[in-house]
Amino acid sequence: MASQPADTSLAPARRNVFDSWGVNIAIALTALRTNLMRSLLTMLGVMIGVFAVTLAVAVGNGAAEAVTETVNRFGSNMAFVLPRPDDNQDFGPPRRTSERGRLTERDLRAIENEVPNVLAVAPQLREPLDIEVAGGSTTTQAVGSTPDYGVVTSQLAARGRYINDTDVASASRVAVIGQTVAESLFGDSDPVGQKVRVKEVPFTIIGVLEEKGSTFGDDGDDTMVIPLSTMRQRFVGDRLPGPFDLQFAFVAFQDGYPLERGKEDIEKVMKARYRVQEGDVSPFTVRTTKEFVEQTSFITGILQAVLVSIASISLLVGGIGIMNIMLVSVTERTREIGLRMALGARRSDIRNQFLVEAAVLCTLGGTVGLALAWTVGTAVSTSYDFPVPVGMGTALGAVGFSAMIGLIFGGYPAVRASRLSPIEALRTE
Amino acid sequence: MHPLVETRDLVKTYTLGGETIHAVDGVSLTIERGEYVAIMGASGSGKSTFMNMIGCLDVPSSGTVLIDGIETGDMSTDELAGLRNRKIGFVFQQFNLLARTTSIDNVAVPLIYAGLDTATRRERATAKLIDMGLGDRLLNTPAKLSGGQQQRVAIARALVTEPLILLADEPTGALDTKTSEDIMAIFEELNASGITVIVVTHEDEIAEHAKRRIEFRDGKVIEDHAVANRIIAAQREEMA
Repeated sequence: MASQPADTSLAPARRNVFDSWGVNIAIALTALRTNLMRSLLTMLGVMIGVFAVTLAVAVGNGAAEAVTETVNRFGSNMAFVLPRPDDNQDFGPPRRTSERGRLTERDLRAIENEVPNVLAVAPQLREPLDIEVAGGSTTTQAVGSTPDYGVVTSQLAARGRYINDTDVASASRVAVIGQTVAESLFGDSDPVGQKVRVKEVPFTIIGVLEEKGSTFGDDGDDTMVIPLSTMRQRFVGDRLPGPFDLQFAFVAFQDGYPLERGKEDIEKVMKARYRVQEGDVSPFTVRTTKEFVEQTSFITGILQAVLVSIASISLLVGGIGIMNIMLVSVTERTREIGLRMALGARRSDIRNQFLVEAAVLCTLGGTVGLALAWTVGTAVSTSYDFPVPVGMGTALGAVGFSAMIGLIFGGYPAVRASRLSPIEALRTE
Repeated sequence: MHPLVETRDLVKTYTLGGETIHAVDGVSLTIERGEYVAIMGASGSGKSTFMNMIGCLDVPSSGTVLIDGIETGDMSTDELAGLRNRKIGFVFQQFNLLARTTSIDNVAVPLIYAGLDTATRRERATAKLIDMGLGDRLLNTPAKLSGGQQQRVAIARALVTEPLILLADEPTGALDTKTSEDIMAIFEELNASGITVIVVTHEDEIAEHAKRRIEFRDGKVIEDHAVANRIIAAQREEMA
């Protein structure tokens, strides 16, 4: 039992950071095991919080993904022209103006001829129409357009043929139907050549469209394309302001051509045609896919922020649970704290010990919550038509965030523990 | 050479129900290296408060404590923690071992705060436990140890940083007579090897093992003298 002189055997207290963290984690795990039930229940709070926040973030990301996908479904480099006075309002009903909205087939021809880098234009008249066959009937969103519509939407005929210029010129009663419509009317049998009645008007099915799939619950195959002229004469003509008026038009630009310039060029041509003076409200509106993405992203961003804020409340409650249980833990272990101080623990040692304990508690809970969110997200993505991606970034964020919750809510109890007087703490029974 | 422990006019007062109590009331004394001191007194005499102050666990109301010639009054809490870690070993009546923690890990706790790495901590803790005759109890938790064994783990822990002073507060208070004798034998051996031992006790039999006896009453030292007929525990054990 020989004892060396004290000071020589003990180097000044230089500390290996990783080693002291390792020690603190070991102490924390022992403490958590000691009160297993309590630890699990506390973790449950953080777990639910992280689960909710992670899913909220994933739903927001999924919405953003769906927007991009919707845009990509049409050619992405496209402008839309609407016969609506352009009040520069992005949302809501148009502001009241004396001017009626205008957009005609002649305008579109001018755009096609005068605006550079235009790939194709597709005029549109849209109307929900009932289709009847001997065995049943269905209602679908019908589009009256020209052959270019198939090019612009990149959805041509998979079977039979698409509408052609002759169909448009002669206002033929022919229709190309989407796969959803084909299935509901004809089941497995071939629709091409079949006779149907569209709002009592006899039509011939000349083709079935390529499958488009659906995004955001919007079925791209529940549609029917008929010649623009047929739509006008048979169904909507009497409700339009003039014999050449349109409801909508796509203007597709060459890939990579800046849409801001395309939009400006269209506006220039249209303003000249309608003699719009500087400062006047134009009777038409031009929008681009880019603006659509920006606006929709703005909305989905707000949606995500709202969801995450609500979910954060549960994480906050989980954090309060952590603080509560850490205060209990500090009180229960006051004597241990006193002992550690007597044996040479500095305030920061005690503080770190309890901080690590809170962080471990939160990180474990957060990891389980993340795993649960990932499972639910994957299940929803596969079984429903809505992506809920829990990506690597979200995962790292979730675990990091839960550790932070531990540090924030564990901070007060930890500092309180470190400020105890050694002798008061030791005397505690 | 300066004394190992020196107190100058040490005072500790408490306020209890509006009344000021002088727990320690102006104590000045010195303890030299190699001494074996018993601090005696009835409960409330101020002996424990005095010990807590020379152990740097408690802060005096006035007066000073010098440890190894160093004034402790101006030290920060962190410096005091370092001083306790390196110069003072504590032994408590209730052992104060960490539950669900092995003997090695209990003994290694002070070395964590000394900043030593895991391997060195285990090595030194093991060596101290073997010194205490607990080589076959290294991985036992306190629940699996007898009272005497637990107190020996606690002594190993107090000694693992090679302190100058061993401060024991009623170290045999929770032990039977036979085990108490064993512990006193260990203290004698430690003192013989050069460690200064200070034992706080209210039992005469324990105090009679020490070389010097200081008695407190009402916060003041009323008696301070060498022990005349010192009992040597190790010898008695041999005779028995």
